[in-house]
Amino acid sequence: MSYQPTKTKYSGSIKEVRIGEGDKAVTVGGKTCYSFYLFEGEMPNPPRVAGEVWDMDPGEEWSPADREPFKDVLGDSAAWAKKWIDEYGAELIAIQCKSSDPNGADRPADEVADVVKKVADAIDVPLIVWGTANHDKDVEVLRKVAELCDGKRVMLGPVEEGDYKQIGAAALGYKHVVGASSPIDVNLAKQLNILLENLGVQLENIIMDPTVGGLGYGMEYAYSVIERMNMAALVQEDDKLQLPVFCNLAHEVWKTKEAKISEEEAPNLGNQEKRGILMEAVTAVDYLLAGADIVVIRHPTTASLIKKFIEDMLSKS
Amino acid sequence: MGKMILIGENMNIMTKKYGKAMRERDAKTIQELAIKEKELGMDYIDLNIGPAGRIGEELMEWIVKTVQEVVDLPCALDTSNIAAIEAGLKVHKGRALINSISARPDRMEALLPIAKKYDADFVGLLWGPEGMPRDENERGALAAELMFRASELGIPNERMWIDPIVTPVNVQQNQVIACYEFMKMFQDIAPGCKSTCGLSNVSNGAPEHLRPILNQTYLIMLKNNGMMSAIVDCFDEDLKKIAWGERPDIEELVMKVCNDEDIDPSSLNEEELKYYKTARVLLGKTLYSDSWLEL
Repeated sequence: MSYQPTKTKYSGSIKEVRIGEGDKAVTVGGKTCYSFYLFEGEMPNPPRVAGEVWDMDPGEEWSPADREPFKDVLGDSAAWAKKWIDEYGAELIAIQCKSSDPNGADRPADEVADVVKKVADAIDVPLIVWGTANHDKDVEVLRKVAELCDGKRVMLGPVEEGDYKQIGAAALGYKHVVGASSPIDVNLAKQLNILLENLGVQLENIIMDPTVGGLGYGMEYAYSVIERMNMAALVQEDDKLQLPVFCNLAHEVWKTKEAKISEEEAPNLGNQEKRGILMEAVTAVDYLLAGADIVVIRHPTTASLIKKFIEDMLSKS
Repeated sequence: MGKMILIGENMNIMTKKYGKAMRERDAKTIQELAIKEKELGMDYIDLNIGPAGRIGEELMEWIVKTVQEVVDLPCALDTSNIAAIEAGLKVHKGRALINSISARPDRMEALLPIAKKYDADFVGLLWGPEGMPRDENERGALAAELMFRASELGIPNERMWIDPIVTPVNVQQNQVIACYEFMKMFQDIAPGCKSTCGLSNVSNGAPEHLRPILNQTYLIMLKNNGMMSAIVDCFDEDLKKIAWGERPDIEELVMKVCNDEDIDPSSLNEEELKYYKTARVLLGKTLYSDSWLEL
């Protein structure tokens, strides 16, 4: 008898969730096996890269390496998003509403929402809108965004246990997708999905954010939480966790000392640009292998590396 | 099904009322609780005085005498303070229970000779040099280490009450399962040893009104695998019923779930369904979430 490799028996599958409307809408999820285990099941929708855009000029917070590709558009979020799409082929845009942070620029919710709206109108790919995890402010901003982006089926987050009722209701009312965010804990992720479902948000409109860290900063914790989400969903038939996973990783990687420090200051760490890109790429690859469906990427070179990686992993040859 | 030995957990310096009574040496309040614990069926009275620093010896001596003046129950001397434990043992009538001796070399070296000297029982806490055991096998290794060190001093297994460490189900379900799996092999590993557990830790962090069902279901699971005792709230009547074997119907149901027998959930009444769902969570068949009973 010839050798038969052991195969996992899957009893569940991940739900398909669509972001955006029209031809450029993106559907993620739908897999019937662990990510890239094409010898055991199917992955009808490839994982996706979302190009990161801020709602303000990041200024000195960004190092020259991450500023360089977008240096001409950093003050104009809509132009920035367009550049991602036109020059770097982005299929999804993730706008971080950094300027709304009450501990930072604290820009009023209406102004922030206007910026988001401009971006949404300027692009033809789906939009992910991400707040600062300040419950009160996120409620204000994301409610307004939900209203202004009516009909565009954007993804709104982070929606957490402390604000899920308000943001969840807005997403429900305007038919957007909820980015359900929980603090690196599979039990709490499940609980939040149950709460959202009780509120009336169908699971088909939820994508989970497990809260992730960058390479060297607790990445393995989020990695194992994503793994456990997928295990529960696919082999334990836990229908509350049968949802795609979103990883907002770019900021976590690029804010680290190792990504920011210049080559002059730390010659042994080598070229700063290459270093940052590789740290971002390694982080993204890890999360994709764990089971992520959307990774937020800051640098276009990382984005193309990751797209190539996904393509290679999914090719039949 | 047999009756478990119950250790009343209520006399605890961390509580407002009894903490104050201990600090003020208010004998009346302490004695009222001691009498109550006896009336409510406790077999031991746990005396948790905290680490207690330099007043530990005097406080433990006082509280043991105060309690035993009005009840004829043995006490569990619950402190990390070695001198306080010895001070309590000196005045204790009958055989006391030291709570606890962990499987760390320094604790075993300091406390096992004291247990031997006073012919006391002791809780052998399966907490090792590297902290929490990761699974049932590491629990087994720590239990063996404790037995070995005790037997070197001529202490028989009968003096030792193994505590396999109950952990919260909402933190690591696999540890809840590991503790349960350890109990299955416990009798073979540690013949003659007794066993006990800080049961309510299983529900620590769960919504307050849902803690009893977790505690009760886990007690059934442990009890039916040889757990002889538990440290409990003396006022928890439902839990005591289970500990005393007065709910054979529920025990049978939970054990069916544990033994993977076919159960049709639609055939269960509302109460049974709760135990069924809870057992499935404690066995890791369902991933824990605070809403597990509603699913």
